[in-house]
Amino acid sequence: MIARRSTLLFALAPVLAATTARARAQTPPAPAPSVVALRGGTVHTAAGQVIANGVVIIRDGKIADVGSGLAIPAGARVVDLSGKEVIPGMVDNHSHIGAAPEDLNEQAVSFGPQHRMVDALNPDDRGWKPAAEAGVTTVVTGTGSGEVSSGEAAVVKTYGADFQKRILKEVGGLKIAMGRKRPDRPPSTSPAVTAGLRAMFIHAREYMDSWSRWEAGGKQGPPPPRDLGMETVARVLRHEDYVRAHVHAASDIMALLKLKDEFGFDLALHHATEAYKVADEIARRHVDVVGMPLFVRIGMKEEIMRSPYIFWKAGVTYAFHTDDPVVQSKWFRYCGAMAIRYGLPEEEALKGLTINAAKIARVADRVGSIERGKDADIVVLDGPWYETKTRVDYVYVDGALAYDRSKEAK
Amino acid sequence: MSGAGSGTRGAIRLLVVAIALYAPSADAQNVGRNTPSVVAIRGGTVLTMAGPAMRGATVLIRNGKIAGVGTNLSIPSDASVVDASGKYVMPGLIDAMSYFGIDAQDLAEASDPITPELRIIDAYDPTGMGFVSGAGPLRATELLIGGVTAQYVGPGDATIVSGQGAVVKTAGPNLTSITVKEPAAMDMSVGSGPTKTFRTKNRTPNTHPAVMSLLRQSLIRAQEYDRSWQLYNSRPDSAKSRATPPKRDPGMDALVKVLHRQLPARIQANTVTDIRGAMRLADEFGFNLIINGGAQAYQMKDELAAKKIPVVLGPISHPFISGDEIPDLKEYPAPDERNAGWLHQAGVPIAIASYSHGLGGLAQPITGKWLLIDASLAAGYGLPDDEVLRAITLYPAQILGVADRLGSLEIGKDGDVIVLDGPPLSIKTWVESVYVGGELVYQRGAGGATLAGEQRKP
Repeated sequence: MIARRSTLLFALAPVLAATTARARAQTPPAPAPSVVALRGGTVHTAAGQVIANGVVIIRDGKIADVGSGLAIPAGARVVDLSGKEVIPGMVDNHSHIGAAPEDLNEQAVSFGPQHRMVDALNPDDRGWKPAAEAGVTTVVTGTGSGEVSSGEAAVVKTYGADFQKRILKEVGGLKIAMGRKRPDRPPSTSPAVTAGLRAMFIHAREYMDSWSRWEAGGKQGPPPPRDLGMETVARVLRHEDYVRAHVHAASDIMALLKLKDEFGFDLALHHATEAYKVADEIARRHVDVVGMPLFVRIGMKEEIMRSPYIFWKAGVTYAFHTDDPVVQSKWFRYCGAMAIRYGLPEEEALKGLTINAAKIARVADRVGSIERGKDADIVVLDGPWYETKTRVDYVYVDGALAYDRSKEAK
Repeated sequence: MSGAGSGTRGAIRLLVVAIALYAPSADAQNVGRNTPSVVAIRGGTVLTMAGPAMRGATVLIRNGKIAGVGTNLSIPSDASVVDASGKYVMPGLIDAMSYFGIDAQDLAEASDPITPELRIIDAYDPTGMGFVSGAGPLRATELLIGGVTAQYVGPGDATIVSGQGAVVKTAGPNLTSITVKEPAAMDMSVGSGPTKTFRTKNRTPNTHPAVMSLLRQSLIRAQEYDRSWQLYNSRPDSAKSRATPPKRDPGMDALVKVLHRQLPARIQANTVTDIRGAMRLADEFGFNLIINGGAQAYQMKDELAAKKIPVVLGPISHPFISGDEIPDLKEYPAPDERNAGWLHQAGVPIAIASYSHGLGGLAQPITGKWLLIDASLAAGYGLPDDEVLRAITLYPAQILGVADRLGSLEIGKDGDVIVLDGPPLSIKTWVESVYVGGELVYQRGAGGATLAGEQRKP
């Protein structure tokens, strides 16, 4: 039922978007000023600066300026944030919100790189709102780990009237899952999973070669038949896209690193529970990690909890995730908070919730830090962002007020 | 209904285990000998849970029991003195519902939806993963890291009446000595656990009405069983010798305890429908009810308060205690973090528990180790700070019927004390040391907290 409804809505989305756009064009310009000045808060930019008594100026949904003692433009709506903490809208690098659970895994096949999460996204999904209200303004939401390759994730904002505009990347990383052995069909062992992936990359190379030959031959005769799955893997091999790998065991991580050595794709390790055991191997290959902790859910061992600190020391770009529904999106910032508990400096932990996650998702030009020219995705809190008692007061997405706690139903 | 025999076997097995563990309890005396008989934890901010915070106070433990708490205590000359200045001192935390120490396969005896005769203590393994195993005293290191000194362990929620739970400590010389109360409650579920379990087996119950009718029928059977024994016992001895006594049934014996209010029934119920159902049964049969989970209990807060029915809430960050990877939206329509605050405000007794689902594999769920951090979330959602702490100390002790020994720093109670290096509700605060019965059983290492057998890694 839910699946059918979401498909329908998605099919209608462009039509709805066009209708809204027309409606908007006919209404007179809104009287509200398009310039907003957030003044007086402590601004953690996630770009290397903490600005006490800072000012953030938002113009037309973008950050026009940030600093201390900035002049407030005439006509700007001023929001007093004295005593508040200001951080960038957070980027959850691994989530499953936005789609019906039964749409996450195409259980009938082991390889489906051609599947795209964006085709399952439902603008009315109940997962968006709590994420946005908690300050998670962008998510990399993707297909599940039921298949060896389950397809392309999407990078989406969690708030905004025009769903099409919320999508930062329709295809944002190819998901593969190491160590997911299935009793009902091959691959049923770890080596078989790795062999299957090796075959997938080899086929993609052959596919690319067949097209190169056809093009080099002056495009004589019929072109090779198109294959959506192979096109996806080919984009990865051409570094136009990257691999997001579900992986827990150190042995599976090593198998994957050897595949990377062989085929040269860009890689981010996800969950990466035992990655701390092979940190030097990961750092040496400039592989990103989207890892533990998952707040208080998974990653109980003390060594695993210390992973963010270990990888920061090793110079690896490290980001956090909720894997929602494993951890609810609303607790995302506490994944970073737990890392502080285990030795990571506060500002580094914040990067793992913002700019590092944006970099790994290839959307750092738009989101992830409070810097001039970026989208005005901003979170205002009533205390240190990492403390459990601290609440989010306001969330801005593209300069629009997405959440105001004072208006919350009692 | 089946398994009278298995219950007996269980009891025999327990006896064997108890005897086996009792034998080396000479060790227990040795441990006691090495432990100073008087410990004075001095100079900290003491949160007794029984009154206001005391700055610069001393907690005195003598022979394993609290002998004094105050700012003007004279410290006996034979006391081993611990300096806690700048630190916080409070009772050991109590996890009011946990499966830590039980093999996941032992959590669902799904051959029968009604098995009141089962006792979880028969499956409790305090030498398994997360514990210090091998010879020597028992230490649930993974829980001690989080300051948890006692927990209720119960059978799972996969059937209607799953059996009897126990209150155990997380450190001690042997299983016998760490068992605080057994049985402590009868665990039941009227939620989606039993319907899911038996639907997959194509057996009844498939629906909530079937769950309720089976539960009602079992309680009626227990009433009849009780009457038949009362009738038999009321006969003069001369008549007794001629009559055949009723057949003993350990499961029915246990349910009779529930009907006589000697054992509370803990019923897992998350939706308003299920909570109402549990309350109707409690009214009809007259037993002491504790609600497990209670994700939507705030919608019933006034009714629960009027009847003083306690709610053992699931984790604030993850109230989906049924343990499914993807939460069942029918059982958890709209969890609200303000649940704990609203219930407290209405006067409903509450505890916050971990409902940790066993151990094993790479993907362990929340355990008691994170109880304090998880509960502290409630402080942002309307539960006063001191009530957050009581919801994981004094209140679970009261709900579990062990408040005469545990849950607060008061004279005569067990010397289960934790020392924290900062305010308890800050995410940066660590449990620095843990005392159980006055004995130092855990100390955070210089190289960070450590796992069992992995002390002081660089």
